[in-house]
Amino acid sequence: MPAALSITQGLTVDYYVILSSILFSIGAIGLMTRKNMIVMLMCIELMLNSVNLLLVAFSSYFNQGDAQIFVFFIVVVAAAEATVGLSILILAYRNKRNIDADLFNNLKG
Amino acid sequence: MEAIIVLFLSGIIALFLGIYNQPKLTTIISVIGLIGAAIVQHYPLNILPAEYNLLEFNQVGNGFVVLAILLTLLIVLSGQKEFLEEKSHAGDYNALLLFSLCGGIILIGFTDLFMFFLGLEILSIPLYVLAGSRKGVSESSEAAVKYFFMGAFATCLLLFGVVLTYGATQSFELSEILSKTINSSGNAMLYVGMIFILASFLFKVGVAPFHFWVPDVYQGSPTVFMGYMSSVVKVVGIYAFIKFFHMAFGGLYDFWSTLIAILIGISMFIGNLTALVQTKFKRLMAYSSITNGAYALMAILYPSALSDSTLWVFMLGYGTSVVALLTISMIVNDDADEIASFKGIGYRKPLIGLVAIAALLSTSGIPPMTGFFGKLMLFSSVWSYYPWLIVFALINSAIGVYIYLRLIMTIMSKETATDTKEVIVSISQTIVLVLSLLLLVAGWLMLLCWK
Repeated sequence: MPAALSITQGLTVDYYVILSSILFSIGAIGLMTRKNMIVMLMCIELMLNSVNLLLVAFSSYFNQGDAQIFVFFIVVVAAAEATVGLSILILAYRNKRNIDADLFNNLKG
Repeated sequence: MEAIIVLFLSGIIALFLGIYNQPKLTTIISVIGLIGAAIVQHYPLNILPAEYNLLEFNQVGNGFVVLAILLTLLIVLSGQKEFLEEKSHAGDYNALLLFSLCGGIILIGFTDLFMFFLGLEILSIPLYVLAGSRKGVSESSEAAVKYFFMGAFATCLLLFGVVLTYGATQSFELSEILSKTINSSGNAMLYVGMIFILASFLFKVGVAPFHFWVPDVYQGSPTVFMGYMSSVVKVVGIYAFIKFFHMAFGGLYDFWSTLIAILIGISMFIGNLTALVQTKFKRLMAYSSITNGAYALMAILYPSALSDSTLWVFMLGYGTSVVALLTISMIVNDDADEIASFKGIGYRKPLIGLVAIAALLSTSGIPPMTGFFGKLMLFSSVWSYYPWLIVFALINSAIGVYIYLRLIMTIMSKETATDTKEVIVSISQTIVLVLSLLLLVAGWLMLLCWK
């Protein structure tokens, strides 16, 4: 397949695995260390998109269409999740007047 | 498949009736939808051509679908009083519960990773909303925030695991992954992918070391939806966990079984020892659900878990007792949620006392109850594979008996709590209490229906 070759020419799929792992780690570390919840939401999107990138790379490498369909599923679900997440953030902002994750510590024990 | 269609349609109708401010009608529609779905699942019509059917249910899968629908029915009925107090949202609550249950059914019947991922998300996303549904209360929105971020993180871990598994096996079908994993051991990408998927499952079902969000989220969410999270989501999540690891990674049993056994042992102790010192009822139930989830997950350790009724009976006992106890908590307790307000309730309202005793005895595993048969079958099935884990489980059952008997003593004490709210049991809650009493005492008779 010429199209598949042009994507992976000179680049084996290993590079894509490494790139997405780096992106995924950046997202995960950001989610754990950042305090602003909007930024945390962005980190989650980054992690999801690293998965998308790797899926597309595998799809082109194996010459199979399934993985690209999976990408569509992930995009749709990520949109739904972001919608719900942002509305939860608005709800939290109304109650606390702030979206600093450190302030949400009433429940413990 | 037809069950999902029935549930989805009744959810849509409930949502529209909610717009027209008909809370009672919504309840009726959702109850009819749930009963209809259970019937259609048990006696399938097969109107859809087989090639559109991406889900398959064996007898055990059918049993689990009916169990999930039954528990949701009990939860919908027990929450009606709270739904009706907030008239404008009654339709939303009912509909979101039904939509979430659709995801649960997909999660029981999946055969490939597409349906698995979709099912997990359809199960989870409505719950993020429901956890924060008490809008003015800051604990509720805190619970929603925590649940959302934990859930979204678990989803990301799952997806990364799925894509690595796909990279190693070139397939999303469970059966093909299984055949590839049996032959190609030693593929690093497959092992890393499996660890990611394992971590996300541990997050979703709340097993140590990823259990820390459970008590916070359960305490902050409204009691009805906590009931749904700790019964239906646990039932479905643990079944999907077992199905996934047996049907996709069955060839790597030696690798994951020891790891999971150790984590189960740890989380039993964490759940029980922390439950000992709790004064809030919902927090106690949350820690107890960590322990019970760990017991249920033991079924993953013996290979025939997907083809016999052991896990089903355990889950029947556990789910019913959770729903019964939380219904009682909804009737008796106020927002402060102290265990002390249960004092003497068994004398003031004999029905509540009776159901509470049955539920607590069943959870602690005392003989005539359903919970005992579940525990007995589960422990004896796992015994020949992991005897040391069963010793741990028995020690924990003993600690559990202490915790639950202490609760019974509070409920049956002669003195009553000083400032309790007036106890009113609505009709739908009475139905729930009587039904769950029947299931707790005689639910194990359903074993006779299994071939």
